Amino acid sequence: MPALARVLRYGCGLLISLCAISCGGGNSLTGASTGPVTPASNVVSVVVNAGPTTNSVNTLFTTVTVCLPGSTTNCQTIDGIEVDTGSYGLRLMASVLTLSLPVSTASNGNSLVECTAFVDGFSWGPVALVDLKVSGESASSVPVQLIGDSRFPNVPSDCSSVGPEEDTVAEFGANGIIGIGPIAQDCGSTCVSTAVPATYYSCTQTTCENTTVPLANQVPNPVSVFAKDNNGTIITLPNVAAGGAATVTGSLIFGIDTESNNVSGNETVLPVDPATADLTTIFDGQKLSSSFIDSGSNGFYFNDSSIASCTATGLTDFYCPASTESLSATLEGASGTPSITESFSVGDMASFESTFTAFPDLAGTNPTPGSFDWGLPFFYGRRIANAIEGYTTSVGTGPYVAF
Amino acid sequence: MSSLIRLKNLVLSSSIAFAALLPCVASATLGEPESSVQADSRQLQGSIKEADHDSYRVHEIQLPSGTLVREFVGLDGRVFAVAWKGPFIPNLRQMLGSYFDAYVAAAKATHADHRHLQIQQSDLVVQAGGHMRSFSGRAYLPQAIPAGVSLGDLH
Repeated sequence: MPALARVLRYGCGLLISLCAISCGGGNSLTGASTGPVTPASNVVSVVVNAGPTTNSVNTLFTTVTVCLPGSTTNCQTIDGIEVDTGSYGLRLMASVLTLSLPVSTASNGNSLVECTAFVDGFSWGPVALVDLKVSGESASSVPVQLIGDSRFPNVPSDCSSVGPEEDTVAEFGANGIIGIGPIAQDCGSTCVSTAVPATYYSCTQTTCENTTVPLANQVPNPVSVFAKDNNGTIITLPNVAAGGAATVTGSLIFGIDTESNNVSGNETVLPVDPATADLTTIFDGQKLSSSFIDSGSNGFYFNDSSIASCTATGLTDFYCPASTESLSATLEGASGTPSITESFSVGDMASFESTFTAFPDLAGTNPTPGSFDWGLPFFYGRRIANAIEGYTTSVGTGPYVAF
Repeated sequence: MSSLIRLKNLVLSSSIAFAALLPCVASATLGEPESSVQADSRQLQGSIKEADHDSYRVHEIQLPSGTLVREFVGLDGRVFAVAWKGPFIPNLRQMLGSYFDAYVAAAKATHADHRHLQIQQSDLVVQAGGHMRSFSGRAYLPQAIPAGVSLGDLH
């Protein structure tokens, strides 16, 4: 994200944009309103802005409160937490924490420390327990990861084999990340039975070894352990005008069909693969079975050789068509049904207004040929639900994505 | 090197002949001889399958984590590409070997978000994508790809 923002700014240079900022709440295909909803105990505000590193684009942030387990006074409220439907679990940058949180214990009695792999690098740090509060929702003794915690400075070799270290706010691009996709734990059953490299470790002060971890001790999707409204989430963001917006404000609603503000309607429910949370996209005659809808991706990522790529240094993986292109693709549930065709636009990134942070037409090439990544631009003007695996709503059982 | 491969290709037009001349080894690391390493499958604790094509051989390693690794070996016996797909990113230090440091340095400098990585250098290409529980990617040496091999085959 920071790198993209930097190249975006480089690419935008001195261009003057005449594009307007959209603040209106549009309508989704189903007719339900989008954008911020009335404040309620199961609603937390979310915002697209430049974030803690002041250079993020198309990145959604929120605020969480963590407390020492059992305490209602030793608490800290942290903003700049990235809202990510492409991962599972709450992770906080240790550098922004003022609380001294107790580290979890591995099966052998040593400290439980985690290596979280992202495509662009890894984040290393202990698992700790917190009492979590988000708006009116709460959960007690939730395992979370503390990234870059100085108590465990030595990164095991097989963790750093993933790629670059992302253990500071600047490297990571946020004060933390709240993974609320349709899966319940970050690793799941594989890590119960197998000590998988670059996942969980039992550590002493000096050495670490791979370890298995019972499901209950893994870092969970925090929504799944809320006392109520725990079967999933709905993200609702307003429409954003073609030229982008300085900031965008919306809502993250907890629960599906649990309160008056999260009732399912006639949206399309797309079951996702229970192992991968992927679904299928059919685009340009190709069936792309490793596709996903992801608030943690900052653009539409897909491959279309007919669209001009940007030429500026650092931007060549992104699209810069001479004029905005309107395209469509069909999303299918992981087992083939149902299907729904959605339109999207690809704009000329080189002409984006450099002071804006929300761009509905931002798109780039996808390094994975069998994948279409419906990133945050897809969320603008929509209500997108993620139902967690094993949990039921009035329209299905998770894992599913609906909009 | 590519002209050497082409020459060998003329001589060894049949994949059967090709297979017969290559030592049957486990696996290897990007840019290194197939026979020099044999370590990946042991290091990664994987089980192996092999497939021979006209101008290259593929070692397929199924890791205990569920991730599938493929390593592509040219007629010259060197690994010119590696690819992976599955719930966990494999040990790229092991798979990229001497190219790992260049990969890390380039990855630090050029990334879009946590879901995409594209490194395009004259001697190394890395393309990776995905998200928690679903990762895939590949790394290859553009100057070492045997003639006639399509990039689309390297996955």
